[in-house]
Amino acid sequence: MDHLFRHQFGKMVSILTRIFGLTHLETIEDAVQDTFVKAMLAWRDKMPDNPEAWLTHAAKNRTIDLFRKLNAEKSRISNFENGPNAIAINELFLEKEIEDSQLRMIFTACHPSLNPRDQIAFSLKTISGFSSKEIASALLLKEETIKKRLSRARKTIQSTAISFEIPQGKTLPLRLNIVLEVLYLIFNEGFHSNKKDILIRQELCGEAMRLSQMLLNNEYTNSSAAYALFALMCFHSARLKSKVNDNNELVDLKKQDRSQWHFPLVMLGDQAMHKAVGEHTVYSIYHYEAAIAAEHLQAKTFESTNWKKILMWYEQLYEIQPAPITLLNMAVIHLQLNDLKNTIKLLDQITPNELEQRAYLFHGTLAEYFQKSGNTQKAITHLNQALDLVKNKSEKQFLLKKKEEWNV
Amino acid sequence: MKEFMLIFIGTNYAEMGLSPEEMQARMGNWFTWQQQMEKDGVVKNGNALHPESRRVVGADRTITDRTSPELKELVGGYYVVYAKDIEEATKIAEGYPDYDIGGTVEIREVMVFE
Repeated sequence: MDHLFRHQFGKMVSILTRIFGLTHLETIEDAVQDTFVKAMLAWRDKMPDNPEAWLTHAAKNRTIDLFRKLNAEKSRISNFENGPNAIAINELFLEKEIEDSQLRMIFTACHPSLNPRDQIAFSLKTISGFSSKEIASALLLKEETIKKRLSRARKTIQSTAISFEIPQGKTLPLRLNIVLEVLYLIFNEGFHSNKKDILIRQELCGEAMRLSQMLLNNEYTNSSAAYALFALMCFHSARLKSKVNDNNELVDLKKQDRSQWHFPLVMLGDQAMHKAVGEHTVYSIYHYEAAIAAEHLQAKTFESTNWKKILMWYEQLYEIQPAPITLLNMAVIHLQLNDLKNTIKLLDQITPNELEQRAYLFHGTLAEYFQKSGNTQKAITHLNQALDLVKNKSEKQFLLKKKEEWNV
Repeated sequence: MKEFMLIFIGTNYAEMGLSPEEMQARMGNWFTWQQQMEKDGVVKNGNALHPESRRVVGADRTITDRTSPELKELVGGYYVVYAKDIEEATKIAEGYPDYDIGGTVEIREVMVFE
């Protein structure tokens, strides 16, 4: 029963959109909402034996209601209640077609004409069944902001007349890339923010994984990059609980209780990784990131981490996506390996501003570098710079602790 | 044993914009409460009511639809329960799960004519 309503909401909206079109999205969402109000009243005394079937049945009835309603508004919709069209509608409620409808919705939500921030909000609302209030608390934003994003997304969808389909041919890989990006962003919202409580973080990560799995269930969208992304999410999620302690403080990799890592997720990730790698696979960023995450999971202790191998993966990742954060990660590994020369060589290539909100990590690393080089004064200077920039509470505490140690 | 009607006032879910997740949670609370009453054998019957309503008023039998300000006073449903006295019925009513969203329970003893 976990999240049944939420997931079912996404399914119903997708199916009904496939039948009635994106122009009626708001009417459809209201109608589905209404079905749940009814379910809620009907079920509080007696739970149906098969709640999902009950809801599907209700959705079918809603379809018929909607036809009547929309028919009254526009006469062009013909009589769907009987005859061959009714049979066609029944087929849309079969499991495979439901998944197909949901994939269409995912591609709609991640359409390139939508603003990237709107893509996330719209996905969480329409596919995942979050309310704007829930999206706001998950993304740590104001509800008003979310409402604006949702309405802008809806307007864009109407004005650019996005078609409700899974793209084909040459556009498919391009569009699939955007979908993977959006899903990874949703995942990272859950994985990286320590301001959120663990439940919200698990929900966001769980949703991103559920949507990724939908891509894997379809023969057109189960690309090797999609498998790699799913593997990466599994590997990261396996460590989610050990990343924060009971006081909601960040625990760095070195101090994490490795016995808390969730083994079944690691297995699931391994399986996905096998499918992600073939003879002619062109590796995506997700392949490399998953490989790096897997390498960390394989180490029994922090000390036995195979840094050289991780460094190699980072170097290859940097070749296909030269991002400053990757340089920083490479610098951190050199530091870990006590290779100070290469550490500073890489750090010199980074302009901290490019790292945006993660600029504090740059100064934190530079501080470590100076500390190891025996220049405590400069180390403290950079640590203070990191402290000025860091927004996250637990990371701040983490840096403060370090400062205390060094000041002795 | 006497019979009491618990009348639930002022929670029109349709107007509250609850998310699917919240609805599921709320439904779960109701289900738990209902199961408990079932177990205690205190429920005689009960129903949920549609929010749409109509009134017939006065000698002319004027028909009016309810206006939205009255939604706060809308009866959403009822249970008839068995209890020793109104104190015991009140205890049962304390389990009602929608107080936090502005719900009210009115407790009325059912009249018995002998």
